[in-house]
Amino acid sequence: MNLARKVCTVHHSYVTKNLYRKFRFSAINYDNSTATQPQVKEEKFNFEDINILERTERRKAQIQPFMKDIFTSVFNKELLAYPEILNKEETESLDKRIDIISNVFQNPQKTAADRRNVLKNAKIYAAPISLTKNGLAANITESLRYLEVIAGDFQLGQEISDHWVALRALQEGLTQEQLSMIIDDLASGDKPVSLAIKERVAERISQADFRTSAEMDSQGVWYISGEKVCNYSNGYILVLASYESAQLRAFLVHPGAAGVSSNGAFISFMRTPATPLEMIKDDKLAKILGLSRLFAAVLCRCRLSAAVQSVVEYTRPRAFSGKPLAELTTIQSCVGNAVLDIYASESAEYFTAGLLDGYADPDAEVEVAMCRNFIAKHGLTSMLQLLNIPALDKEEECKQLLDNMRHVATRGETLDSVNMFIALNGIHHAGKVMSEEVKQIRNPLMHPAFIFKKVIANRHQEKDDPKLTLYLAEHLHPSLKQPSEQLEYCVLRMRFACETLMARHGVKIAAAYTELNRLAEAATEILVMSAVLARASRAYCIGLRNSEMEMKLAACFVEKTRDRVKKLIKEIDDGEYLNLDHFTTQFGRKALDSNATNPTLVEKATARVFW
Amino acid sequence: MANKILGHFLRSRPSMMMFKRWESSEPEKRVTIHDPFYSQPQKNKETYLEVVKMFEGRDNRRRGHVEFIYAALARMKEFGVQKDLEVYKALVEVLPKGKFIPKNIFQAEFMHYPKQQQCAVDLLEQMEDNKVMPDTEMEQMLLNIFGARGIPLRKFWRMMYWMPKFRNLSPWYLPEQLPNDTTELAKLAIQRITSVDPDTKIEIWQTEEIEASLDKTWVVSAQSEAQKILLAEQPTDDPLVVKGPFNIYLREQVVNYFLLIGKIRPEIKDNTDPDDVSNIEKPRGIPGLIGTTTLPAVRQTVHEQDDGTIVSVCATGTSSRDSLLSWIRLLEKYGNPQLSSIPVIFTLTAPPSEMAIQETQPAIKDSQEKEESRI
Repeated sequence: MNLARKVCTVHHSYVTKNLYRKFRFSAINYDNSTATQPQVKEEKFNFEDINILERTERRKAQIQPFMKDIFTSVFNKELLAYPEILNKEETESLDKRIDIISNVFQNPQKTAADRRNVLKNAKIYAAPISLTKNGLAANITESLRYLEVIAGDFQLGQEISDHWVALRALQEGLTQEQLSMIIDDLASGDKPVSLAIKERVAERISQADFRTSAEMDSQGVWYISGEKVCNYSNGYILVLASYESAQLRAFLVHPGAAGVSSNGAFISFMRTPATPLEMIKDDKLAKILGLSRLFAAVLCRCRLSAAVQSVVEYTRPRAFSGKPLAELTTIQSCVGNAVLDIYASESAEYFTAGLLDGYADPDAEVEVAMCRNFIAKHGLTSMLQLLNIPALDKEEECKQLLDNMRHVATRGETLDSVNMFIALNGIHHAGKVMSEEVKQIRNPLMHPAFIFKKVIANRHQEKDDPKLTLYLAEHLHPSLKQPSEQLEYCVLRMRFACETLMARHGVKIAAAYTELNRLAEAATEILVMSAVLARASRAYCIGLRNSEMEMKLAACFVEKTRDRVKKLIKEIDDGEYLNLDHFTTQFGRKALDSNATNPTLVEKATARVFW
Repeated sequence: MANKILGHFLRSRPSMMMFKRWESSEPEKRVTIHDPFYSQPQKNKETYLEVVKMFEGRDNRRRGHVEFIYAALARMKEFGVQKDLEVYKALVEVLPKGKFIPKNIFQAEFMHYPKQQQCAVDLLEQMEDNKVMPDTEMEQMLLNIFGARGIPLRKFWRMMYWMPKFRNLSPWYLPEQLPNDTTELAKLAIQRITSVDPDTKIEIWQTEEIEASLDKTWVVSAQSEAQKILLAEQPTDDPLVVKGPFNIYLREQVVNYFLLIGKIRPEIKDNTDPDDVSNIEKPRGIPGLIGTTTLPAVRQTVHEQDDGTIVSVCATGTSSRDSLLSWIRLLEKYGNPQLSSIPVIFTLTAPPSEMAIQETQPAIKDSQEKEESRI
């Protein structure tokens, strides 16, 4: 029992504000942050060619990382306005371009080559490149819109998402001379760049986890050796390799380079010459490569949409007991759940894209990872439910859909490793904020007064009934009051969960994988809930078509998700014996250790000891 | 005095009771004692059951059945049937049905036919000692003989509560019948020791494969992939040590085994404050990049214990030093080439008694092998 955790001083700067709130004077204190935030405008001119101006970026000043703050139960209410990134002209030109692409992509008569050609012609392969270099200077929000259409072709969708990510990295990492030499080749789309980061899991205890290495010879040329997971290798390859044993750097392998051999999903390099991306630092590289997670989320969502479409096509002409099959409520609810997932994921993706595009120097890696994990986790389950409807009638198509979904959900990395990334980043941030408190909690006898304070301060949390002090409802449409309070509940529980975990494990929290998984899942749901509420509220306020449906979707989603978060955090609070982790890991361990002498965990159900 | 008599009674071998009974008859009428068990030419289950049948058929009234059962119980080991439920059932069958069932509460309360009940309880006790689990048929037999209120029934029920609980308590499974072949037995023993690492592979080699070997016997050797790597990474200037013999018991059987032990890597030293969470390590965040580019040089595996890194385990047919030397050579031959350059020290604490003959063998001549036997 962690007596220590129960005592804490709660610092609330807005005690007086609460008083106003009680008397419904909330408008007095409504802080319209957008009005007060300074707008940072960056304009770049290319004086060599004055006809083409570089795109203007309208970024607001830097904000605190949104989701990392949620780990300490701090909520940036400004973001409940839902980001609006594109202006009128940009939206129009974007829509125009998307029309062109979607005409080809939605036409079943067009071949893969046609689709590739339209992308080349519309300069989609050069989307992230700046206008002055004959690109589109597309930001993340626009990229997502393009990708949604392109994802209709599964292969092409994956290829282009890798290509975009790699282009961003190359623009940052290569010198101007190096970049200008290959930029046209890259922009043309003939030789797309693919990413090669992941490696096989080590097969011996003497193998390191990451083995591809790079070394420089006497003439200053870098050579890389190793094996990577890589699905497409028909053009450039961006390879991550280590040098000087512990440093990491990305290298660009040109098409047709020596020593490259491909074997199924694996590609190996034997002293392959490569160009290093020297200008980019590790953390910046991580941020850019992390974008592939956001694109993976879009691809995942589009797969789910395709499955919904397939089920609709299947259901519509069929009948059951003389009535249309579509009237079965089980089918309706199954499709409805999938639609809910799609809506939620879409909201979260554009919300995150808004964070990345709308603020200076954004720190949204965690949000990006969450988007991916949300749809990868729920998408697979929803997909299985959906494909249950056509079941055996559309065997081949179902198999294809499911396989694609599985592929994209585990593409590049597993759910667990992303969860670990989310949770450890959150805990890292929370640890900084709460380190003093945790130290006192872990040494209760040294700080008796603190302990008593903590007991009193945490009494509501212990009862699983925190006081709702964030007043999120004030920043949303009034009819979303109840869902917003549910979100608020979840947000307020996060700090308690982090505190519990850190108090229980101390620094060893990094090894409490099952607990961290729960924390990451809870945080992921909170991001999606926030995004959904913000989007629905905005849609209703500005009077979008079908916005009342959005309100219902949002309310439904939050209601469902709140229970999930509640359960997850309750399990964290309970600890390994009550949430049965201790036992499940034990069973798993036994099964993993089974061998000839102990082939099974238990005897057969018909086994007897005596007769 | 009473204690003395009781002690004498308890100490006396049950088999003797039968003879005592004849002895107590008039001395001049003494006849040669006929021990039906003794006269059997072959001592096995069939002949044992034959004797029991013979006793049953000899006399309708089955006089002396308690003495007979005690005598039979004492001879079980000799016939090798002490673990056979069928034999115990045959002995219970000797007792007459119905006669010993109490008819009223006084009989039930004051132990009706105490000698017979005690005899049945002793029989059950012997079953328990030999870990023979009775079955429901036996319950029925005891019910027919002593009734539901008999002491043997209570003993039976208690046994049926506890014995299934203890029967599979050991996490290491052993077959009902232990193999008679020593190689197989050694394999079972080594399997049990190496169950810490499920990846372990157990090999059975013959020392004939090594030409220089003197002892022609078998070697059951176990090594996992992790151990091979640990062995390959041993420093070549530090000798490996063969330690043993250690004992491992498989029920009543004992197997000697030996360990090949190397140097250990340093313990993980973590001087950070476990309460300071202000800077918890976070991953780099590059999708697909997990783990590290280098390996830690500290203790990681289960094979690295405080007294050394166990790189292999074996049991040999003779447990002699020569067979162990052959084992080292065989290890070298099958996937551990490193062994050719690492010296090996033999620290056999005391050779097992049956190895006395091998002690006279000439010392093994090998420049790289040093022998230090502390006898």
